[in-house]
Amino acid sequence: MIKSRSSLIFAWALLAPAILYILVIVAWPLFETFRLSFTDASLRKVTNYVGWKNYDKIFNETFLTVILRTFAWTFFSVALKMIIGTFGAVLLNAAVPGRHIFRILTMPPWIVPMAIGIFMWGWMYNGQFGMISGLLQRFGIVDGPVAFLAWGNTAFWATIVTDVWIGVPMVTIYFLAAIQSIPKDLYEAAWTDGASRWTRFRRITLPLMAPAIITMSMLSLIATFNSFDIIWILTQGGPSGSTTTMIIDTYQTAIGSKKYGEGAARAVVICIFLSLFCLAYFRVTRRLSATEKA
Amino acid sequence: MIKLYRTSLIGVALACTTALPALAQDITWIYCGDKIDPVHEKAIADWQAANEGWTVTPEVVGWGQCQDKATTLAAAGSPAGMAYVGSRTLKEFALNDLIVPVPMTEEEQAAYYPHIVSTVTFEGTQWGVPIAFSTKALYWNKALFKEAGLDPESPPKTWAETIAAATAIKEKTGKAGYGLPAKTFDNTMHQFLHWVYTNNGSVIDADGNITLDSPQNLAALEAYKALVPVSVEGATAYEQNEIRAIFLDGQVGMIQAAVGAAYLLRDGGKVEWGVADLPLGPDAQGPGTLLITDSLAVFKGSGVEEKAIEFAKYVTSPEVQEPYEGGGAAGLTPLRPSPAVDKMLAENPFWKPFVDGIAFGGPEPLLTDYKGFQNVMIEMVQSVVTGSAEPQAALTKAAGALEEYK
Repeated sequence: MIKSRSSLIFAWALLAPAILYILVIVAWPLFETFRLSFTDASLRKVTNYVGWKNYDKIFNETFLTVILRTFAWTFFSVALKMIIGTFGAVLLNAAVPGRHIFRILTMPPWIVPMAIGIFMWGWMYNGQFGMISGLLQRFGIVDGPVAFLAWGNTAFWATIVTDVWIGVPMVTIYFLAAIQSIPKDLYEAAWTDGASRWTRFRRITLPLMAPAIITMSMLSLIATFNSFDIIWILTQGGPSGSTTTMIIDTYQTAIGSKKYGEGAARAVVICIFLSLFCLAYFRVTRRLSATEKA
Repeated sequence: MIKLYRTSLIGVALACTTALPALAQDITWIYCGDKIDPVHEKAIADWQAANEGWTVTPEVVGWGQCQDKATTLAAAGSPAGMAYVGSRTLKEFALNDLIVPVPMTEEEQAAYYPHIVSTVTFEGTQWGVPIAFSTKALYWNKALFKEAGLDPESPPKTWAETIAAATAIKEKTGKAGYGLPAKTFDNTMHQFLHWVYTNNGSVIDADGNITLDSPQNLAALEAYKALVPVSVEGATAYEQNEIRAIFLDGQVGMIQAAVGAAYLLRDGGKVEWGVADLPLGPDAQGPGTLLITDSLAVFKGSGVEEKAIEFAKYVTSPEVQEPYEGGGAAGLTPLRPSPAVDKMLAENPFWKPFVDGIAFGGPEPLLTDYKGFQNVMIEMVQSVVTGSAEPQAALTKAAGALEEYK
């Protein structure tokens, strides 16, 4: 009995730093944000509780548009990363001379500090001095300068392209590791049976990569949904709010306009969505590991 | 016993001596920029020498974070003694009880150029001391004027002439006639306010009524609409400095910019240029411009408010301010007329339009939420520039939205 009590105390003592860390760094700020979302906190020194008013206020047409835009932005960005990442991994796995060099060449977008990479894209999108506009004009595809960040549609896609550029290397390397773990004899057997390259990819590579694709999609979904730097540096949510996602909207409200209560309510909504994604991620990974064991 | 007594006495004396500097009171100063201007370094040293027991500790914070840092510290209840802020924030700070008034005597007010004191005045009281001032003028590319068949020595004087000249440049040279910045950026609002103040317009009146939806401002938005097709393609992708870069590259006929552009053009630009008063709208009474000032705000609750006011007034007094403005070389429009300013105008004629516009210029409107105000104005301009709204509809919508911030 004494022994078990002392081991219990020992166990709690070991856990204590982690619990303390989670309480201070995660739980307390989360609770504070939740509490703040029911107040009219702003620059004023007096803060009042306002019930559900902040939530009533944010669930208007504008915010619903922002939510939809966030989902669209996230969907296209994650989908493109997965598609490019899959094909990139397959190509990097191919037995071509110098493939190690190609593998190294995929890394720069990941290695370059994110802000620098985004500024570089900002310049490439510039209509007057940008490389893309310059090339399009040189090849006679467009008549004059094209400022990609000037119009809602092009700005929306430009931010996605930048996010994909930054995110693809990690996805590719992760998928490459997954492909390399597929037993070679499966390919040899299929090849012996006369299966084409496409059939081998469709029937062997893709199904056996599926767990990696699902896991990476979920992780990428969480990171992309919360992506702030790319949009903020490139467009600050403009023009006319066409690239304003939930995280940008929250920042503008809480930090820009100093409406901390309203900003907190927006942050809580983001938190709910992200919690749902995390829940889905854990469910999927649990199911995948159960399938693997079976 | 005597030895112990003596040792204790020495100990107490030493402790007191060591603690003395700690008794000195300190004024913290959130200082925006990359480094402290040598003029201010000297001013701090001089002031400290004249005020024994007081120190001033500037904390240099980059422009991007400066205002947020000062605001966050104040909101968190640990304010800086004073901070360098855009004067447009003063009303919001004052209404939220974060700053103390810094009243000016009539003599002090009279020393400034007209309207400057109004950039820091709210409900009849001054809430900051102006420290930096910016006005704008029209730059034109003489080579493009010539190429377009226009008189390169005659810049447009009215909005109608501006639109006509920009159209001619676009049609005859294929280059953009005008540089219209409309990015999601604060100076998109500033640039529009230059049009407001060159047509006798306003955003909010002295009684706090929103006056944005007026024929003067409608004319400004309609001029914007007319300029879009002959301006730099994709105006919503560019802010003021990016447009300036295009002008410095010789790719645009006209821009509105501060005096800094004149120094860049003079000291190595490849453009044949001129600078003139901002063109006037149909209702203008005389040369105008938006008067943008930055101020020193003294925060409440720092415990050093009185002395901070004293220091703020000293560091913006003519004896410090004139060398800080550097005879124009720093790109700051002088805050006060003086013989030094007269000399500068005589030596550098390109300074004249930047001072001319003060006569009928207007301040950045003081509203309760300057960021909210800024967002409304940017949205209004962008909706017209991108063609998603007609000027009247955009103006009416913006005026309605501003009611929340008056």
